[in-house]
Amino acid sequence: MPNVAPGEIAERLRALPEGSGVAMKLGATDYAGNYLQFLAATLRDFGMEANAYTIYVSVTNPCILVNSLLASLEIPSDRVFFVDVISQTMMSSLTKLPNASYVESPTMLENVMLRVEYFLRKNTATRRIVIIDSVNSLAIHNDPAILSEFFHIMVNNLKSRGITTVILAVAEETNPELENLLSFVCDDTIQLGVAETEPKGA
Amino acid sequence: MLDGGIPRGNTVLISGSCGTGKTTLSLEYLVRGAQVHERGLFLSVTEASHKIQQNLATFDFFDKRLVDDGTLTFIDVPVLYEKLGLSKQEMTTEDIDLFVGAVARLASDLKVQRLVMDSITSVCYRIRHEEEIRDLILKLGKSLSDISCTTLLVSEIGPQENRYSLYGVEEAIADGVILLGNVQRRGDLLRTLKIIKMRGTTHSRAQYVLDLTPLGVLLAPYLKGGRGWEAA
Repeated sequence: MPNVAPGEIAERLRALPEGSGVAMKLGATDYAGNYLQFLAATLRDFGMEANAYTIYVSVTNPCILVNSLLASLEIPSDRVFFVDVISQTMMSSLTKLPNASYVESPTMLENVMLRVEYFLRKNTATRRIVIIDSVNSLAIHNDPAILSEFFHIMVNNLKSRGITTVILAVAEETNPELENLLSFVCDDTIQLGVAETEPKGA
Repeated sequence: MLDGGIPRGNTVLISGSCGTGKTTLSLEYLVRGAQVHERGLFLSVTEASHKIQQNLATFDFFDKRLVDDGTLTFIDVPVLYEKLGLSKQEMTTEDIDLFVGAVARLASDLKVQRLVMDSITSVCYRIRHEEEIRDLILKLGKSLSDISCTTLLVSEIGPQENRYSLYGVEEAIADGVILLGNVQRRGDLLRTLKIIKMRGTTHSRAQYVLDLTPLGVLLAPYLKGGRGWEAA
């Protein structure tokens, strides 16, 4: 699959029907750069233009870090809500963000669904996006079977309500089982900065 | 989950151990009813009702005006006991009749369509014989059902009990049983909800995970992960 140019991400998202599930595969080489490009394209270029609310499920990094990256990209935080699934597990002293809800463990997948639902009910804007960062981080903490069940229920629920879901994946770290999962629940795949090599085996 | 809700006039046990969300679920049921102009009555047996109202104020769905305008009424049962002269620790058959009659009159006078008793277990503590408990619930259910009042009876059980009420008779008589509990999965404690029975409607038989949020009770399907992770 060919990579997209960073400037094309928003255009690709715009072209998708509402309620789509999108796998966003980022290359591991210069992951930080790719990630920043993704944030800018999705939350600033696409999200602000679509006047959308974003619910960001942060599993890879604590939401306070993601929030500071959004600030550095001049993305206003008043339309972003976090479901932070990692900060409490890290047992670090927690500075809580007012626009965040904290789940105690990445294994409490039902609670992730419930907190997303909470923010969706609180913000009834017509356009809403749910970003899950990332399938790889969730796979560290969960068995493949329960992870598949989670994504199947969650993404289909959001689809049925016209809410776009973007699932982040580190391309080179995504084994065939996760690839299958993503292709099962997602309608489209967008690839950014991925080296042209075969994905890692299971 | 209930194909349109709890059938009007049903008596339903809300069973669970402490901290599973029984009181919050019951209160939300009353408040949601009050929002559509169905009068509600909360009979508090163990906790002072002003404390319950203080806790209720933390929820976004609660509006104190519903209490001020009489759509929602809170009554402390110990005060009712005192007014009825039921100060003895043990209730006789006559006392039960007196108590049921008083509750039915209150419900009728206030024109309530939804009533919560929190908890029926605490009322039953004062009753010696199982037949009398059966009698209490039957009479209470019937008298409230006769005025089209739907009743939730909060039932306290231990954390690992394989039944839905302390005495085991309540669930047989009630029209419905909603069981709240805690399920342990890989060390995580998840609040769960299941509908065990509900007369007069088809209902879900699946297990759900419950979250108590400022917006009220939210439910998500319990994930099984393709195998039998089971309750501890």
